[in-house]
Amino acid sequence: MTPSLDSLAPCFQGLIPAMLFTCSAEGVPNAAYLSHVDYVDASHVALSFQFFNKSRRNIAENPKATVRVLNPDTGQGWLLSLRFVRSETSGALFDRMALRIESIASYCGLKGIFKLLAADVYEVTAVRPAEECGASPEAVTVSGHVPADPVFTMQALQHMSARIHAAESLEQLLDSILAGFAEVYGFTHSMLALATGESNVLVTVASRGYSENGAGAEVRFGEGIMGMVAEARKPIRISGLLRGMLYAQAVKIRAQQAGMHAFDARVPLPGLANPESQLGIPLLVRGDLIGVLCIESETPYRFHEDDKTSIELLGSYLAIAVQHMQLHERADVVASTAVVEPPQPAPKAAAPASQPGRAVREVVFYSADECILVDGEYLIRSLPARILWKLLSARMRDGRAEFTNRELRLDKSLNLPEWKDNLETRLLLLRRRLEQKCPDIRVVPRGRGRFGVEVGCQLVLAERP
Amino acid sequence: MLTSDVATFLQGGQCIHLGTRSETLEPTGVVVVAVSVDSDRSHLTAFLPKVGSSEVLANLEANGRAALCFARPVDDHACQVKGTYVEARPATKKERAVVEAQWDQSLRQLEHIGMPRQLWSGYAVWPCVAVRVRVTEVFDQTPGPGAGAPLA
Repeated sequence: MTPSLDSLAPCFQGLIPAMLFTCSAEGVPNAAYLSHVDYVDASHVALSFQFFNKSRRNIAENPKATVRVLNPDTGQGWLLSLRFVRSETSGALFDRMALRIESIASYCGLKGIFKLLAADVYEVTAVRPAEECGASPEAVTVSGHVPADPVFTMQALQHMSARIHAAESLEQLLDSILAGFAEVYGFTHSMLALATGESNVLVTVASRGYSENGAGAEVRFGEGIMGMVAEARKPIRISGLLRGMLYAQAVKIRAQQAGMHAFDARVPLPGLANPESQLGIPLLVRGDLIGVLCIESETPYRFHEDDKTSIELLGSYLAIAVQHMQLHERADVVASTAVVEPPQPAPKAAAPASQPGRAVREVVFYSADECILVDGEYLIRSLPARILWKLLSARMRDGRAEFTNRELRLDKSLNLPEWKDNLETRLLLLRRRLEQKCPDIRVVPRGRGRFGVEVGCQLVLAERP
Repeated sequence: MLTSDVATFLQGGQCIHLGTRSETLEPTGVVVVAVSVDSDRSHLTAFLPKVGSSEVLANLEANGRAALCFARPVDDHACQVKGTYVEARPATKKERAVVEAQWDQSLRQLEHIGMPRQLWSGYAVWPCVAVRVRVTEVFDQTPGPGAGAPLA
């Protein structure tokens, strides 16, 4: 019985490279590996066109082709007889295929070289098993789990929904979401980057499963899977990332040999050293990018199409929840400070002078770069750096230990935007960076728009150009 | 025809496919289990699984055109050998050890990039048909801007 293309869905995950057979008008056959075969509909597939090569020239002369794909769950090979229909250089299909390829390219520092030129659409005229490539009698698969077993069930979504509703602060919400992915779905490595106001940059504010919390890691638009998701504002699911990276790496070496431009350094992507599957979801509210959620795994083909669809829905929900919490915290601040005006005299911090036996930390603010180094090590930059410098200077100068969000908002020297200042996100980021890099200095929430600055060391502050 | 380096690469346990075409220019192909290069380096013998090779063998008998793609999975280094069909015969028991050793090498490479050996356990690796091909051209096929350059 001839199988339907739909039933071969696992073959189109890009886990195992496909082999494309073509033939010139003169009758010379050609066999070449193919980066990606994409399912289009019940009678069409799309092949990635990345380089002008012999296969492409053959198709221009003779539209017949055969592609051999393998099911990564069973090992069974299939031969698809194809007839070229058209090339697409824009539209949903092209965007989907391009996004996957460009994410890998970005990861390898090959953006602009390793790219999709067209999605070539073929009609599938016949499907037959590759007799020599039979299904494995053993139950070992590349994917490592049963294909028809999406993990994003309604019950799981309900669990996540309950977590979202129970969160009382932005920090709790973000941590609870990532904990939920681990506990409810078994996705132990995840991270969330949020927009902070700086254009085309997201900042990682929460992560789970990594040796470092990664707070403050910047994600520039177009770089890595999170940057690609942010730029395209579309979800990306990548399976068999190692295969894709090996292929891209081969291209990179050839590009360098050919003297073509290639970036010297790979864009550092926060996360697993050897991810096999990644799922990136944009968090959008009415077209505004709130942030990007990224889940990754060392297991190939970890995320299914159904997973992507479900988590996309979840992503919309999370985006609203995050934005709501940001607005809620801001409103709380306004309400609470309205009640307590004028502010009470701020409690004095313990005398910052000589404290024998405590470690000495040198905190240097570089005003030109707007960044802070602690004991010569980079801590944070931009607005969170300006905020920390203001807090530590006030503490040192006036002995203050307690502060309000409102006074930060009113401080013209901080230059916060009047609308969408994301102050709570930036304070959360600052708190996380300090926990990671300088636990002697702590920014501690005191509830409703107030926080304290606790210092467990002797501070030496210096400002340099 | 083949340089010593290329001949070594071809016999190094790569992932190999043989492409042929019908009289109506319908291309098709089959997995190749192993390859042996003749000492003159102008001919090679491709070992095809007997199961599943009837169509490519018929094509070779009819028009003689062959294209062999060799790829090293761990780094995607690849080349393509074009040739003309000379003859086909059953592979001998004596050749079996060489064929299986090369197949094992390719499986080890695939394991190295995360594809478990058990995945290929349904493959009909033996018995094989030994297909002798006269090499006419060799091309670099490593993906990237240099792909397609002749390898003299």
